[in-house]
Amino acid sequence: MDDSGDAALIARCLGGQQDAYEAIVTRYQRGLFNVAFRMLGNYEDARDATQNAFVKAYEHLNTFDPDQRFFSWLFRILKNECLNVLRARRPSQPVSLDMPSARGADPVEVRERQRAVQTALLSLSTEYREVVVLRHYTDLSYDEIAAALGIPATKVKSRLYTARQQLGELLMDWRVAR
Amino acid sequence: MTNINDPWPDDDVTRTLNDLPEVDPPATLAQDVMATIASRAAARTTYPPATSNKRGATMAKKVLWIVAATAALALIAMRLIGYPPVEKGTEATIGAAQRYQAQQVSNADVKTEDAQLQAFLQSDLFRQLATDKVAQQALKNKDFQKALQDASVRAALVSADARFAIAAAKKVASDATLVTSDAFRAALDAHAALKVAFESSPALRAALVSPDVVAAMSNASLGAVLARPDIAMMISQDAAAAKVLEAAQVQMDAAAVRYK
Repeated sequence: MDDSGDAALIARCLGGQQDAYEAIVTRYQRGLFNVAFRMLGNYEDARDATQNAFVKAYEHLNTFDPDQRFFSWLFRILKNECLNVLRARRPSQPVSLDMPSARGADPVEVRERQRAVQTALLSLSTEYREVVVLRHYTDLSYDEIAAALGIPATKVKSRLYTARQQLGELLMDWRVAR
Repeated sequence: MTNINDPWPDDDVTRTLNDLPEVDPPATLAQDVMATIASRAAARTTYPPATSNKRGATMAKKVLWIVAATAALALIAMRLIGYPPVEKGTEATIGAAQRYQAQQVSNADVKTEDAQLQAFLQSDLFRQLATDKVAQQALKNKDFQKALQDASVRAALVSADARFAIAAAKKVASDATLVTSDAFRAALDAHAALKVAFESSPALRAALVSPDVVAAMSNASLGAVLARPDIAMMISQDAAAAKVLEAAQVQMDAAAVRYK
């Protein structure tokens, strides 16, 4: 995600030019939505969480520290939205796994494997899932993930290691062969 | 999406995770976000937040009635006892009224009332200011003090949005070029009162060259002061500003001793 020009757009938003925020949403919607989708496993929930995160970010834009990366700040807001969705789900409530294909039709086996990977992701605890999602589905570095999660980079690495161990066991039958 | 910095680039788990495709966000997501923002802004304008301080309002009304009743009784009592006494020879004197013709008040005539200053020094607003070096630095700036003597500047800086817009413009422009930057121009275009103040006050233009003043624009304690035009006016006077800054220094020194 190229974040050049964010500061100018944010300054314009804070100066009262609302249309500048639409440019920010357009720039980050794909990245943020994919993170929400991988965290929640449900298209509608991901849409609501992403939308709420963007609205809350706009309302608190004056608290954004320009020394941080904007996506990291957005992620922290999104994470809270995702946690709200997860808390609202009753433990017994089954998650309907939406697996919309991005482009073109996939063979049945590929789709089944993707469903298994998403199910495995959802079976991780939130703290493990978020490091995997940020590491594999965004371009954030370890330091940026650490900043976004508010934990040391060493902790990010240890959580990622444990999470991958768990995923390795869960996906034993579905691993993509070399 | 592949990750070039992955420490396990070739293992099965990485490949399996990377095998998940990117998902297209809803086509109307950006429009939905902007519509929600617009509707929330409209709701805030149409329905101001309700105050939940009903008990306080009722109590204030009671106090007002008690004060009014006491004043009425005092007037009746004064009338009955014949106070104030009328001087001999002045009864029923008819003559041209000698009205006081006041000159228009200029800034030089404005003297800070000690009572107002004392009340400010006892307030939470001052306690907040006394712990904030950024705000104090701004108040030491003579151009800023002079700018605050201008009613249009005070009116413009009451707006938190306008102050944040100045601070935000600074983030994309160097201090020397802030006032000529596109971001600052955009801020002026978006805030009519700020534009008027900026164009009419040379002191404000000079003050905004100072990094201390610009840094304080997004500062909460200075914001609280600027949100009160009466306090801003008081603090724009040299003598009052000096007393406030001196008192703030005393508080900071005392706090430093306490925490040693």
